Amino acid sequence: MLMPKRVKWRKQMRGRLKGKALRGAEVSFGEWGLQALEPGWITARQIEAARRAIVREMKRRGKVWIRIFPAKPYTRRAAETRMGNGKGSVEYYVAVVKPGRVMIEIGGLGQEEALRALKLAQYKFSIKTKIVTRHAAGAGE
Amino acid sequence: MEKVVLKATKRTVTGKQVKQLRRKGLLPGVIYGHNMEPTPISLDAHDASLILPKLTSSSIVTIDLEGKQIAALVREKQRNFIKNFFTHVDFQAVSLTEAIRTYVSLHFSGAAPAVKDFQAIVVTNLAEIEVEALPADLPERIEVDLSKLAAIGDAIYVKDLVVPAGVEVLTDGDEVVVVATGATEEKEETEIVEGIEPELSVERGKKEEEE
Repeated sequence: MLMPKRVKWRKQMRGRLKGKALRGAEVSFGEWGLQALEPGWITARQIEAARRAIVREMKRRGKVWIRIFPAKPYTRRAAETRMGNGKGSVEYYVAVVKPGRVMIEIGGLGQEEALRALKLAQYKFSIKTKIVTRHAAGAGE
Repeated sequence: MEKVVLKATKRTVTGKQVKQLRRKGLLPGVIYGHNMEPTPISLDAHDASLILPKLTSSSIVTIDLEGKQIAALVREKQRNFIKNFFTHVDFQAVSLTEAIRTYVSLHFSGAAPAVKDFQAIVVTNLAEIEVEALPADLPERIEVDLSKLAAIGDAIYVKDLVVPAGVEVLTDGDEVVVVATGATEEKEETEIVEGIEPELSVERGKKEEEE
């Protein structure tokens, strides 16, 4: 699963999820992409599950680009512990995703196969997503 | 391409108040460039949404600004990425007698034999190239013939592109436009290893000890 190799600080503050994605909101590498419509924390597990679903559907053809990286540590307190005594331990890593962000891209597949693969990936995420093309309506060239 | 005319009016509303214009069905924009002060303008959002998607970064469009005809390039199209409508547009006024630098989109056509024969994947590296030309000589788009990609590893470079006369390419000729790569088999199953922690790049207390 994706996780940082090295971190400066083991734990992070949670932060807020305001606004829309300013970067990475267009399909840049492949032909089809999966765009986030809601803000959320996408876990490394979800990304891996989506990748597997796509790869299995593609049957050794095409290429996948994962455009988000889970760099934020998610901490949780141990079960049945009292409040206090410091922050909980890191459980897993999440990617911070804002609406508009293209999370996954695929290329080298026909329309039907690409849509089918991305549909399967959509089920793996905890937020609403939509399938977008490189030259979406209104995007021009 | 036939002459494209967009009707525009001068705009006095600026800043966050432009939201009001959008609600009224107008598209805010700005025109700046050759021998003119930057002027905020507004266009009819519906007309603009029909015309703007067809325009590339090298298409010359005529802005009818309250009766005054200005030749311009579309410099930037801002849009709402989720709902997919235009929110703002920048035009750059150009002189038809002076050479300008701009980007021309690349249009990929034809089928790459490498895809059929070797199940290659065509990866595009550049979507547009920078050129210098007189506005009249600027092509709408430059065609890239993918049928030259016969085997895995074949690439089309900027120097291989066929550009019309009078157009000088400024992008480095050795830059790859498109390449046929082998489909590296994505690992379907990877072991999920729990409990591995990333290294800490700053070890706590170490700095103080050194001092």
